[in-house]
Amino acid sequence: MTTCIKKEILLKAENINLSYDDKIILRDINFCIKDIVRMDVKQGQVVSLIGRSGIGKTQLFKILSGLQKPTSGTVKLHNNQTVKAGDMGVIFQNYYLFEWRTVYYSLLLAAKQNDVLKGKEKETIEQYAADFNLKDELKKYPQQLSGGQRQRASIIQQLLKGSDFLLLDEPFSGLDVCMLDKVTNLLLQVSTSDELKTLIIVSHDIITSVAISDTVLILGSENGKPGATIKKEIDLIERDLAWKKDIKQEKAFIETVEEIKDCL
Amino acid sequence: MKKIFLPFGKISKQTLIIMIVLQVIVTLLVWQTTSDGLIPKPGNVATAFGQLLTTKLFIDNMFVSLALTLKAMLYSIIITLVFAYLSVIPFFKSIAQLIVKCRYLTLTGLIFIFTLLTKDGSELKLSLLVFGIVPFFTTSFLSVIINIDKQEYELCKTLGYNNWQTLYEVIIVGKADQVFEILRQNFAISWLMITMVEGLSMSEGGIGTLLIKYNKYNDITNVVALQLVLFLIGLCFDWLLGLTRHWLFPHSKLKQEVAS
Repeated sequence: MTTCIKKEILLKAENINLSYDDKIILRDINFCIKDIVRMDVKQGQVVSLIGRSGIGKTQLFKILSGLQKPTSGTVKLHNNQTVKAGDMGVIFQNYYLFEWRTVYYSLLLAAKQNDVLKGKEKETIEQYAADFNLKDELKKYPQQLSGGQRQRASIIQQLLKGSDFLLLDEPFSGLDVCMLDKVTNLLLQVSTSDELKTLIIVSHDIITSVAISDTVLILGSENGKPGATIKKEIDLIERDLAWKKDIKQEKAFIETVEEIKDCL
Repeated sequence: MKKIFLPFGKISKQTLIIMIVLQVIVTLLVWQTTSDGLIPKPGNVATAFGQLLTTKLFIDNMFVSLALTLKAMLYSIIITLVFAYLSVIPFFKSIAQLIVKCRYLTLTGLIFIFTLLTKDGSELKLSLLVFGIVPFFTTSFLSVIINIDKQEYELCKTLGYNNWQTLYEVIIVGKADQVFEILRQNFAISWLMITMVEGLSMSEGGIGTLLIKYNKYNDITNVVALQLVLFLIGLCFDWLLGLTRHWLFPHSKLKQEVAS
């Protein structure tokens, strides 16, 4: 088993409830994400939030990102401050970018929001563009990019903004096998770029999400109770299923996937 | 051939040109054969059109009208932008909405009030035009603002923008190309109003004055020829504004290509 320790709490969701009129969407959501420390590795955190379509994943996604206020409850970050819009890097399902800005200018706008990059925005953008194979696309408009290029541009934009958290809404949706591998590698690359980097992946693609995660949160409804809640939290490190290549063939992995499916 | 009658059918540029040419020829033939003594025949209109373009009277009047229209459009778009941008601030929202409703007012009923408020004919025409155009410009631009994709605002929020930065990025910068589209779409309204407004103060001339004079003497051939000139100038402006928009904002052309 890979040795690691879980240290301080990076994010804590406490008693999150969301309802519209009388309809309860989310109920008693509680979980926390801790900093995982591994020897000799800059190991970030990758948490998958899995649930059926229409269960309330997007609502929880928006609450976590600070774009929507819950009816009650709070999402707190490691500095004990309640999350607000702008604290998290958010990558929407369709990788939205400002259509009127070139990729370079979009990235520059994000970099300018990051005080740490002051004076070295241009170099940092070029470095990221080179790392993410997007150097030739910097002068293009979003309409001229392929889906994969848009996704990478969106990720760089949110990384340049400097947030430790990156929330991704259905990042594997509609990708072919080849692109799926590229995207998972890209996310792993991001997760190991910094010790505090935390990826929260909201998805209904169980196999791909679990394969790159260290923790799985299952969002589902419980018998007789309205609204969705976190039904189960699976620690993949404990099961020795985290940070491994070709994990998908392992028996324990297949069993875990089946366990998640049964839980949905 | 079947495609030209098929809903959403796509035809080549060549087919489109042939189709338009044929439609024009058929229209001219119908016009030629059905027009009697009162309605001038296409040939007579074409001759009058050629003669009109070379007369100093027409050129002078045309410049008067164009100058007035452009001046009115410039003032109107400035007023529109100020109120449209401010419409996202609750205090100014009701004012912007009132301007939109003002498009139901008729200019004819306001001539006397504007005559009292302005010092000369030139000012009267300009103020009437601006008053007439602004509600239409504002209606178009507010509709652009209302239909902004929610994700544009959400992206700003995720980047940590405050409300003023969001207003600047999404509405002022992001929708700048739409200003040209609104000008293009509403140029027809301005052009329609100019002929009416110019009839109020005829001393300075203009296309409207010319039209009234020709109508007064039942010179229908010149009236139709003048209409043709107005139509062609309208088309020219339409093309020029579209071209300027694509040149200043290249993404607008890409957006159009993706949509088509």
